[in-house]
Amino acid sequence: MRSRTPTALWFLAIVGAVFVSLPLIALLLRAPWGDIATSLSGAGAGAALRLSIVVSLTATALSILLGVPLAWILARTRVPGRSVLRALVVLPVVLPPVVGGIGLLAALGRGGVVGRWLYDAFDVQLTFTTWGAILATTFVSMPLVVLATEAGLRSIDVRYEQAASALGATPRYAIRRIVLPMLGPQLAAGAVLAWARALGEFGATITFAGNLAGRTQTLPLAVYETRLTDPGGAIFLSLILVVISVVVLVVMRDRITQAA
Amino acid sequence: MRRLIIGMTALTLVVGACSSDDGSSGNGATEPAETTELLVFAAASLTDAFGEGIGPAFEAANEGTTIVFNFAASDALAGQIQSEGTADVFASASGTWMDAVQDDPGVVDRTDFVQNRLVIITPPDNPAGIASIDDLTNDGVQLVLAAEGVPVGDYSREALGNAGIAEEAEANVVSNEEDNAAVVAKIVAGEGDAAIVYQSDISEAAANDVASVAIPDDVNVIATYPIAVVKGASHAGLGASFVEYVLSADGQTALEEYGFQPIS
Repeated sequence: MRSRTPTALWFLAIVGAVFVSLPLIALLLRAPWGDIATSLSGAGAGAALRLSIVVSLTATALSILLGVPLAWILARTRVPGRSVLRALVVLPVVLPPVVGGIGLLAALGRGGVVGRWLYDAFDVQLTFTTWGAILATTFVSMPLVVLATEAGLRSIDVRYEQAASALGATPRYAIRRIVLPMLGPQLAAGAVLAWARALGEFGATITFAGNLAGRTQTLPLAVYETRLTDPGGAIFLSLILVVISVVVLVVMRDRITQAA
Repeated sequence: MRRLIIGMTALTLVVGACSSDDGSSGNGATEPAETTELLVFAAASLTDAFGEGIGPAFEAANEGTTIVFNFAASDALAGQIQSEGTADVFASASGTWMDAVQDDPGVVDRTDFVQNRLVIITPPDNPAGIASIDDLTNDGVQLVLAAEGVPVGDYSREALGNAGIAEEAEANVVSNEEDNAAVVAKIVAGEGDAAIVYQSDISEAAANDVASVAIPDDVNVIATYPIAVVKGASHAGLGASFVEYVLSADGQTALEEYGFQPIS
């Protein structure tokens, strides 16, 4: 027999559900559907969608490339200062993205601590470039890969690796054939979360890389700029992001709720 | 993770405690028994000039007067005055929105009090060697503008059009920023070779970190700011003396210090 749910609980739960879903429903209601063709066929929408895909996928790849080794160090080694390192790596999750953008400017901008040297010695400028947008996005999404992977690694018994090495496997072979396959689901969940975060990134990107159609203007930036001149078009661009997010959530629903 | 959460909670508590301390000490300050509150609705670009310059000076000269400023976009202010009708004085960044308030609910003593000009800003060392508006079309110049739809973004493009270089300059744009402050911030950070903003957008803090190049009046888009006492104001007399102060030599000097220019 089920215990009865108090009415007050029902009431607050319904308020919560309406509060979260109302903005999405309002987007659908307010979209000027008659103008959908002209709004979305404009050069801006296609370019922003393409750029968003390129930036978010590249940022996710970078996040995995750098984030998995970091997670390994955090989960499997006893480096001194590990907890400080973990706090630093996780910081971008709680940091307002615009702060990340300002930090990136100070570090990698044309006049930044490292960026100045890159610019003077190699003529490399990251601000106002697609690579700048990718780096800004990686900055905010990589921690999600690190967190998910570290949690995954901690749940895998070290004795599997010990057994493998007792049977003559090199550490590298053990990682490749034993740990990575077991880590798969957690890593995938982290990667998808990171990708979803990358797709929605706004603050760090506009602050560090600027906003130029076709080069640094990803979908969220396009939504923000279009809003000023074509509010209806901004709604359609927003809906593209909503649709992609919903698809991701549906496909990954179990893994994401577990990982989070 | 748990330690992180505990740490963050502790940090939040500490920050919260500090800010509530500030709050209580602020509330504890003794206030004069009799004060008249003058409600001034002013364009957002006047925030520093009125809030830090003219406001305190006027309060000092008129004991017992406290000015309550409402800074926002002029169109928003005009809407608020029409729907709420609580303002004593309205200072608008354009004639259009003063016209609206003049129609409804009406104004008294409308006067243009200051002008704001577009100006080119560059990093202090001016890496692209910008000496005039025409130089913005030079090869490889990284030009930062406010986005279309942001007033200063539209006016910048209008000025470039007036100079006959709209397309060439647009090809050099590396970023369309979301507001005036973001444009200035990019140049202060040394990113971008040049940008166009209103003179008053260059805050005191940023003034040392940018150099400026004038845009000639014949291509510039000059904003003229009108000020007036709103009809039906609760403190019409005091409002009129505030307007008078803004137009006085002291008021005009204060405005110039914040980048505005007298009516030519």
